[in-house]
Amino acid sequence: MIATALVVLLVLVGLSIPVGAALGVLGLILDPLYSMLPLTRAIGELAWSTNNEFLLVAVPLFILLGEVLLRAGFAERMYSAMSLWLSWLPGGLMHANIGASTLFSATSGSSVATAATVGTVAIPQIKRYGYNEPLFLGSLAAGGTLGILIPPSINLVIYGVLTNSSVPKLYLAGIIPGFLLAALFMLVIIISCIVKPSWSGHKIHATWGERFHSLIHLAPPLGIFFLVVGSIYAGLATPTEAAALGVLGALILAAWFRRLTFSMLREAIEGTMKATAMIMLIVIAAAFLNFIMSATGLTDAITSSITGLGLSPGWMLLIIIIFYLVLGCFMETLSMMITTIPIVAPIMLALGYDPIWLGIIIIILVEAALITPPVGLNLFVVQSLRTSGSMGAVIIGALPFVASMFVLLALLAFFPGLALWLPTLFG
Amino acid sequence: MVPATRPFFLSGLNRTAERLSRWAVYFGGALTIASVLVICFDVIVRKFGFSVGGSDELSSYAFAISTSWSLAFATIQRANVRVDVLYQYLPVRVSAVLDWLSIVALGAFMVVLTFYAYDVVATSWAQNSTANSLLATPLYIPQGLWLLGLVWMCLVLTLMLLRASVALVTGRIDEVKAIAGVRSTQEEAAEEAAAGERLVRGQAV
Repeated sequence: MIATALVVLLVLVGLSIPVGAALGVLGLILDPLYSMLPLTRAIGELAWSTNNEFLLVAVPLFILLGEVLLRAGFAERMYSAMSLWLSWLPGGLMHANIGASTLFSATSGSSVATAATVGTVAIPQIKRYGYNEPLFLGSLAAGGTLGILIPPSINLVIYGVLTNSSVPKLYLAGIIPGFLLAALFMLVIIISCIVKPSWSGHKIHATWGERFHSLIHLAPPLGIFFLVVGSIYAGLATPTEAAALGVLGALILAAWFRRLTFSMLREAIEGTMKATAMIMLIVIAAAFLNFIMSATGLTDAITSSITGLGLSPGWMLLIIIIFYLVLGCFMETLSMMITTIPIVAPIMLALGYDPIWLGIIIIILVEAALITPPVGLNLFVVQSLRTSGSMGAVIIGALPFVASMFVLLALLAFFPGLALWLPTLFG
Repeated sequence: MVPATRPFFLSGLNRTAERLSRWAVYFGGALTIASVLVICFDVIVRKFGFSVGGSDELSSYAFAISTSWSLAFATIQRANVRVDVLYQYLPVRVSAVLDWLSIVALGAFMVVLTFYAYDVVATSWAQNSTANSLLATPLYIPQGLWLLGLVWMCLVLTLMLLRASVALVTGRIDEVKAIAGVRSTQEEAAEEAAAGERLVRGQAV
């Protein structure tokens, strides 16, 4: 039964059938093969209840928040403020890349958008200040991945829905690892530039007056962050409600910067609805497949055959890490999460791992997938922002940052408190 | 003469379908923005001790309707997530067959889904079911609108399948690709990057 399901799934996905359709069709095939009762009939009710889930309303709202903020017009000023504060470090503007990405991540739930926006502003500076190109590009691709770890994050909402765990707790758990990863990225840059001083470009000088003056440009993204994340922890709003507050805030900001036009709103809506429809198609198909799999006993069979291997929790974690790294080479990140988490999470929870902690681990693995070839979307985004040069430079430049993700994974494995301390403090 | 006119007829239909799907997306977007306003109002009013309530229920309906209404547009725009590990190395003719197959698979799933979604609406209608909430919404209203989006998606997929089949049989591989080809990661990334550039440049003006 396991083998049949796996083979059918691999064939469907290998034939490049859309992921949502592949999951759905697999469900349709498994039902008559292994079930006494016609389970498919439940698909209508399942699809309605999944599509009508209030927590998932946060998905389009967070996408819309990002789309509006992107167009609200403060990215360039935010970047120059970051460069005034951070460019004295060895590595100069590369720290501004990480800093601006971190701050942008705190308002947007998307990694690709973060890399595209910060990259557009930053890339012209490579030649101007004589930076080492691969490392600079790598810092942009890697910085962008922070978007899904630092709240608000769309991927964490999806994880919360799939595993029935609290999204506010997941958001709290993402904060320390998120900032720690940003710090590790900066450490990578500092070490590289101390070893190879020629990589760090010409110095940029800034006075304290300029620095304090620039702080005003950091206010819009910070304001949105505190509005969204603050309202959740002040007990004012649920994650979905916080997302709605964020969208309203972003619309007001855009109006303030005189960016709120009808055509801007139309573009933002097109992007939002297109992304939401595709995510929900996969979510609905996965919900149907999960129902079929648990009703036919397939889920139990998989779980027990894996736990039957008698692997220790540590080995299992290692296997899961390798599994996601390999899968990340072939699959788009969100569909990878929706497809695998319903199987992976029960296995890991049975071994005694904490669901919140596991969520953060999986998000970091997904981040690594975003900047490892061949399907690392962020790599391609950064590459297409350049006017010349080969893809190889971006890939090589991103490698040291992938290494720092592994450092973070190791730290989380040995000190789970890094993720779990904040949720227990407020929980 | 008939075979020569059929594609023209189809492409006219296709333009109409695309325009309608785009309007459906705007409608979905308007519902989403309306949800934002209703939810924010609810949160702010709650802070002052009043409880309106119902915003979660209404926005959930809006969410369901707006996603199902946007499915067709997303599919026309080839936004479906597909894994192209093998696809990109296949000869163009073979991969065009896979494009055709992917419409068939998506269509099969959507038709089953829509068929049983109809059952849900019909049951709600027959039993006069209302939501278990203060609003006591008659469920057939949001469910019916949601179903409408699914039906539209099925119609659009049928049209896509017809066009792709005609193109495939007559050997116009480029057209099959234009209807249902995989957007490569490069293509997608280039668009994201262009969007990012446009946004930042727009800001400098």
